[in-house]
Amino acid sequence: MRYLLGKVGLLLLTLWAAVTLNFLLPRLMPGSPADAAIAKLAQNGPVSPSTRAAIEAQLGVPTGSAWDQYLQYLNNVVHFDFGVSYTFFPQSVASLVGTALPWTLVLVGFVTIVAFICGTLLGVLAAWKRGTWLDTLPTVGGTFASAFPYFWTALLLLFFLGYVAGWFPTSGAYGSAATPELTGTFLLDALYHSILPATTILITSLGGWILGMRSTMINTLGDDYVTFAEANGLHPRTVAIRYAARNAILPNLTSFGLALGGVVGGSLLVERVFSYPGVGYLLYTAVVNQDFPLMQALFLIITISVLLANFIVDILYGILDPRTRR
Amino acid sequence: MSLVSVQGLSVVYEPNGAEPVPAVKAVSFDLEQGDFVGLVGESGSGKSTLGFALTGLSRPPARVSAGSIIFDGVDIAGLTPSQLRVQRHGGFAMVLQSGMNALNPVRSIRNHFFDIFAAHGHVSTRDREARAAELVGKVQLPASVLDRFSGELSGGMRQRVSIALALSLEPRLMVFDEPTTALDVLVQHAVMDTIRELQKSERFTAVLISHDLGMVLEVTERVMVMHDGLIVEDATAAEILAAPQHPYTRMLLSHYGDPRAAVVEVPGLASRGTERATDVAQAVAGGAPVGEPVESQGEPVESQGEPVETPVGEPAPSAPTAVTVRKREGRAARESIVVSGVSKVYPRPSRRDQPVTAVNDVSFTLEPGASMALVGASGSGKSTIAKLITGVEHPTSGTITFGDLRIDTIRRRQLKRLHTEVQMVFQDPYAALNPLHTVEYALTRPVLNYSSLRGRDARRRVLELLETVGLTPVEQFAARLPHQLSGGQRQRVVIARALASDPQVIIADEPVSMLDVSLRAGVLALLDSLRETWGVSMLYITHDLLSARLVTDQIMVLNKGSVVEEGRTATVLQNPQDEYTIRLLDAIPAPRSGAKGGSRHPQESSKKGLRPPATVPTSSPPATVPTSSPPATVPTSLTSPRSPS
Repeated sequence: MRYLLGKVGLLLLTLWAAVTLNFLLPRLMPGSPADAAIAKLAQNGPVSPSTRAAIEAQLGVPTGSAWDQYLQYLNNVVHFDFGVSYTFFPQSVASLVGTALPWTLVLVGFVTIVAFICGTLLGVLAAWKRGTWLDTLPTVGGTFASAFPYFWTALLLLFFLGYVAGWFPTSGAYGSAATPELTGTFLLDALYHSILPATTILITSLGGWILGMRSTMINTLGDDYVTFAEANGLHPRTVAIRYAARNAILPNLTSFGLALGGVVGGSLLVERVFSYPGVGYLLYTAVVNQDFPLMQALFLIITISVLLANFIVDILYGILDPRTRR
Repeated sequence: MSLVSVQGLSVVYEPNGAEPVPAVKAVSFDLEQGDFVGLVGESGSGKSTLGFALTGLSRPPARVSAGSIIFDGVDIAGLTPSQLRVQRHGGFAMVLQSGMNALNPVRSIRNHFFDIFAAHGHVSTRDREARAAELVGKVQLPASVLDRFSGELSGGMRQRVSIALALSLEPRLMVFDEPTTALDVLVQHAVMDTIRELQKSERFTAVLISHDLGMVLEVTERVMVMHDGLIVEDATAAEILAAPQHPYTRMLLSHYGDPRAAVVEVPGLASRGTERATDVAQAVAGGAPVGEPVESQGEPVESQGEPVETPVGEPAPSAPTAVTVRKREGRAARESIVVSGVSKVYPRPSRRDQPVTAVNDVSFTLEPGASMALVGASGSGKSTIAKLITGVEHPTSGTITFGDLRIDTIRRRQLKRLHTEVQMVFQDPYAALNPLHTVEYALTRPVLNYSSLRGRDARRRVLELLETVGLTPVEQFAARLPHQLSGGQRQRVVIARALASDPQVIIADEPVSMLDVSLRAGVLALLDSLRETWGVSMLYITHDLLSARLVTDQIMVLNKGSVVEEGRTATVLQNPQDEYTIRLLDAIPAPRSGAKGGSRHPQESSKKGLRPPATVPTSSPPATVPTSSPPATVPTSLTSPRSPS
């Protein structure tokens, strides 16, 4: 309990720090968005005072003290008010992020968890049956698959399964005729569209989990408590799962936390290749169009997701490893 | 019928793609119900491999290649893993060497017991809590440990828990593989007592695997000595003590001695009686060798006309003078390390703990050419003192000086100057050398760092160092990598590395505790000779009182950071005043005096010498003891040739 409270406290503290940094960093930079826009215009000729006033009015100029601004900013953050996007004017940043986030969370988040679970199980099996085909096949296969850069795997799948064979759609999260709604047909359509990107992520990340789990598991298999468990005649399955795998998984949880934290921000290339309307694709658009309000909101979302993922892993550690509870 | 009958058992190691190596070679023996048998040998003798085979735990690359292990009528060498697993309840159990790691860190102690009960179904779910509590009670632990995880227990408690777990199988054969090796001296003693009592009360057959012949002789009734995969001697403890037959047994035996005795020596190490008259400090200063008058506390008479060189009145060796003067040209004059009123307090590890006082108001002076022992159990602060003297850590209060150098407040920039004169020899020679670099590289680095020698001169110096530590032919050793060396050879490289800067002081932190008994004497003799021929002074940190007695003149006994006793080594060990020193001395396995808690008055005990073999716990009738070894002739010096007088 004490451990949990400590972790919650730490999460709140880091959240506050992240939000505050997100407020401070743009203000530490010289100039304002209006200055940047005016400077751009100034390259082509002198900017008249009326143009300047118009731009400032459009983009807004900070009013009040820094402290007032900070309070205002906090209030906005709490109400998910991140302003209006330049690119998708007049849509608000909040609604854009709100539309993109579920796609990424469901697709990439779900696949990351599935990849971790499958990879870990295969790794346990490979280490336990070391030297047999159950070891060789996943190990070699996983290494081979994860050796490709994942956008390359994505392009290959897109080309052969989508374009040449025509089995799967080549872009988007749902058919152009469908409208997002919670009906069976739409969900099936979305599922159908998600198969290629999901497969891509699965193929490229599975190998890492298999190899990681296999090597830590082989280490714990050599540990004395495993030998001692065998000497005490425990059932082989108990030894493999509760003694060897149970300890071997601990170091891999850290990597899992990192992978989970990268779900929101790290799916950029896959979403770009498949034109998938997720956060990665949105971030790409925002950067290309210098859409500062959108970028700022997305960076904040990415930071928060990393913090949350770490929090989840910390809690998992607390459950799985008694040594961290003290 | 015997409980266990081993016939022509061979075990080979078959590493992938390498030549098979025989580890146990056609060994045969029987174990009777209720026997307590010791299996003694040095590392690589195959004793653990044999122990694993006995309990059906041989795993690739090890394989039982021939022979049979008949346990209660069944050949367990021929069983499938699942048949073997069933046999373990009421069969054979094993307690591993590093009991520290024998427990699953993420499972509570209670679940360890429950797992075993579930696997064999011999304790019902209803009774399992009571049974687990009863079992931990048998190893003198409270039932509350069941709630704990292994990380919350001390080393001794963990080893007790694993003994209780092994016991929960209700085994008829228990194999203990170095059960106390990783433990602290005093804890070792207590755990061994528990094992001994359990063996008596539970009446299982016990095999105690150990490198420590002294302990095995004290504890067991019958001893099998293993060497190079063969059992070279199999006799009662009394017989082995009285008349060891095999040269290897004799060699092992010769390395044991009682640090309390008047004269202690082991092969390769000069005898050290009451006091040594060497005064290297004076020799170094160029003064004439002065034989210090020596008080004669011990009674060298005990050696009874044996050709033991009596050290009393021996003049100081004059040879070192010339050597030393040549070597120390252009270097600072020899200085003492003066430690005065030094304390080291570590901040409290967590909010609930108290600050840890590792060293509490310790003062001493290490004179040039002196050798001083710093002894104590683990946690006594002896290694912290080493860190303080080498400037790795700064004391909380007090001063440490070396000549005009203040070590207690030393800055990073001055460390080089300090380390030119003060060098360290580490405990674990396996960890102290970078496995990727050759011996030559390991030695060239400090030569380049601490001297102006370069190129060919530096290489010559490296070879010279190797020669000094006795690694010849030097060219061959220089090219080797650490894994191509034995433990003793590695430790010699570590010593050579410490000598590379031509230091005045060597701090040796348990330099032989990781080495086999037969190698220890060689390394100790080397350290001792460095002092004599080069005038290097030595601070020898150890928990092993025998080795302290062998290579040091002065001793300080540390308990919980404080010096509880100090003085001349022979005097302190023969006539200990402090309770703690006495406990440390009593914790030493004393095969000679039979039962534990032997006389606390060394003069008396050494006069008595070996007690009659009848007091050695043995079931064998005294008649089997060869009469050629009257106890009185075996007293103090283990090397004494046993003349049938």
